[in-house]
Amino acid sequence: MKSSLRFITFTLLAVLLVLLSACTSAQNSSTDSTKAADTTNTDKTTAASVKEKVVTIGIVNSPPTLNQINDQGDSATRTVLPLINDSLLDINTSFEFLPKLADSVETTDNQNYVVKLNPNAKWNDDQPFTTADVRFTLLTALNPKVESSFRLSFIDGTNDAGKLEEGQTELSGLKIVDKHTFKVKTKTPIDPNIFKETFATKVYFIPEHVLKDVVPDQLATNPYFQKPEVTIGAFKFADFKKDQYTEVVRNDNYYRPVAKLDKIYVKVLPATNLIAQLQTGDIQMNSLPVGLIPITDYDKLKALPNLNVDSSGPSEPAELFFNNKTINDVKVRQAIAYALNRQLIVDQLFKGQAEVIDGSVPSDNLYYNKDIQLFTYDPDKAKALLKEAGWDTNKTLRFLVPAGNKIREQASDILVQNLKDVGINVEVQKFDFSTLIQKVDKGEYDLTIFNRDYYIEPSNYFSLFKGDNANNFIFYHNPKADEFISQGATESDPAKRHDIYNKLQQILHDDLPTLSIYSEKRLQAVSNVVVGGKPLNLGAFNNVNEWDLKTN
Amino acid sequence: MLFYLTRRLLISFPVLLGITVISFIIMKLAPGNPVDMLIDPNTPPELLDAKREMLGLNSSLPVQYWHWLKGLLHGQLGYSFSSYAPVAGMIGQRIGPTLLLALTALLTGLLTAIPLGIASAVRHNKAFDHTMTGLAFIGLSIPPFFLGLSLIYVFALKLHWLPTGGMSTLGRGGGFSDTLHHLILPATVLAIGIVGKKIRYIRASMLDVLSQEYLRTARAKGVKESMVVYKHALRNALLPILTVFGTEIPVLLGGSILVEQIFQWPGIGQLTMQSILSRDYPTLMALNLVAAIVVMTSNLITDILYSFADPRIQYR
Repeated sequence: MKSSLRFITFTLLAVLLVLLSACTSAQNSSTDSTKAADTTNTDKTTAASVKEKVVTIGIVNSPPTLNQINDQGDSATRTVLPLINDSLLDINTSFEFLPKLADSVETTDNQNYVVKLNPNAKWNDDQPFTTADVRFTLLTALNPKVESSFRLSFIDGTNDAGKLEEGQTELSGLKIVDKHTFKVKTKTPIDPNIFKETFATKVYFIPEHVLKDVVPDQLATNPYFQKPEVTIGAFKFADFKKDQYTEVVRNDNYYRPVAKLDKIYVKVLPATNLIAQLQTGDIQMNSLPVGLIPITDYDKLKALPNLNVDSSGPSEPAELFFNNKTINDVKVRQAIAYALNRQLIVDQLFKGQAEVIDGSVPSDNLYYNKDIQLFTYDPDKAKALLKEAGWDTNKTLRFLVPAGNKIREQASDILVQNLKDVGINVEVQKFDFSTLIQKVDKGEYDLTIFNRDYYIEPSNYFSLFKGDNANNFIFYHNPKADEFISQGATESDPAKRHDIYNKLQQILHDDLPTLSIYSEKRLQAVSNVVVGGKPLNLGAFNNVNEWDLKTN
Repeated sequence: MLFYLTRRLLISFPVLLGITVISFIIMKLAPGNPVDMLIDPNTPPELLDAKREMLGLNSSLPVQYWHWLKGLLHGQLGYSFSSYAPVAGMIGQRIGPTLLLALTALLTGLLTAIPLGIASAVRHNKAFDHTMTGLAFIGLSIPPFFLGLSLIYVFALKLHWLPTGGMSTLGRGGGFSDTLHHLILPATVLAIGIVGKKIRYIRASMLDVLSQEYLRTARAKGVKESMVVYKHALRNALLPILTVFGTEIPVLLGGSILVEQIFQWPGIGQLTMQSILSRDYPTLMALNLVAAIVVMTSNLITDILYSFADPRIQYR
């Protein structure tokens, strides 16, 4: 009796163990089977009508969120958002602004901006898009209780953090004229490009008719942002599986010509698989900057017959940041610049698909100072400078390298070797980005390397060097530079601005608080069946509604 | 028995609590926090501070922990710091694929390892045995990431038989056969590790039993050799294997982190990696909790199974 009882319990437990495991897999298989049924259905319908036009774009990091007013500074999120959200203006590769939600953005005094909306603009649920949505979006995003990635502190009525004060319910810099016209007043006159880049191309809108009743401090966790179905863009949200893919489908209610493609997937895959999947046709293009094809695959890529391969313009450089507190002698910083064989990195690692610059601003920027004499590779001069500066050869520099970007890590290895050759000892410490940034912020480093963001607006590159910027992690301070940085940010006359920024770049070149190592020309690969689209550094989706597939 | 169960369950609560405290402290000791990740020098410090305040990072550690615990007692795991999605939902989405992968691997692994282990023990010190021990050693020592990448190279890139990663083909909705197709490579990598380890266990355990006196008696009685091996020896040899089976489940969950990364398998492992990298504290805490519960449950079940399998062990 006892043994049979034992046997029963034993079996029960064993069954329980199996069930525990099976219950999830059973769940899986049941959804699988419904999905399978779905697939056969759609297969039938598509077979009956025309084949769906689908483009799949490969990226290597998953967007954490699809929140259009808080992209968390994440490049992957920024890649996906413009597919389903239109901004007032868009931008093309020649840095020209194109009308989107706004027909025009005009100013006569560089301080008062008049924006006329496209009167036909409407949300994908057919509700009209009006200045009421603009007002709702701005008041919501600038509410101090709402986390937002908008940086609009230049608008009159915001505080230094670019937010409204607690309890403030109106934005004095925003005047609604009528349903399709509004005015924005800035605190001081600014270059219209700042307004156009930071406001007109980076602000996406949220629908007032969907979100008007949500309490501000609960906005972020509102289900709308997990499934933003009501947006205004050429495509609309269909599905978001974090770490797998984002699926968007054509918005048939689009206020501009309706998209020719039926569907776009943005698929997350490891960088090493990009080439293979381009080859098999699983993806039709890569994406910049989150779907970078390793430059080591350049030759392989060129040899593939079904692809069009191109390289982008120079992108934001990998910068070597000096801790200007611990390496406070400019001669040492210059010696380091002479010691580095950056051309070797460009020729060998990047197979020529990059260029050497010294400053933070990429060479295709409107305000790039072309007259600056670049540092050359001259180890003897480096040694001489070190001698002059009385460099202690027993000293070891801490060089913090973020793990992840293989080619940047390899470039760092070359830098270390270069420095050893002139008698500077370097200890490399590799960290994940979060850890690295914390150490850098605390000043626990001598050298570090990473890339910043890509901007059209030059002041965004220079704000780092301002002495009173709390985020000035390089601890650089030069009153003269501070003056030019402030002047440049508010100067609205392009000619004067050029002059200011030329001088500023010369100062930064002489002081050398940072040194750029390389500015990569990124590989753009797109299948030759895609018409009208290709990966771009900026504005890749400005004409996404015109993209099409060749029908054979 | 019932008394033993109740006691074990009661003990498990303070243990779980202790685990959450320790993991909370370790997590906080790790340098970096979600707000520091925003390196953009154009971010005003006030905004960073507001974000810190909003995420509750400005309070002292015990207060932060208490907030988390209070949420947990109310059945709330909180919201992810990076996506603001409910953590429970995120984990719910991921646990299915992970279990599917882990259990397929476990099952395949055991179904391969047991017969091979027995065969190896029966042919002790013969060519087959040496080959098997050698292969098992290779399977045990080959790093999963290397094996994974090699398999991708051969079967996905060169032969185009299997996909390079993911759990379903985009746009094809992931039916049963599609999922199976994607499951083969990652499950194989995990299973090979298990087979390597288990063959050795089973062989050793079987050899031990085979040298026992009672088997000689059985043979002397004239019992057929197959009966001796499969009925008398195997039954006794499987006892210790049972324990190993139970402890394998948590190991599998840990081991699949790497494999999930390589194969882009949308499971717990990937979520864990990403949460660590972005210092997503609420998600990490919840993942730790889930892992702790899984380990404790499988340990408990193994202990109980053991007492049934080996009557010499009694729980009171």
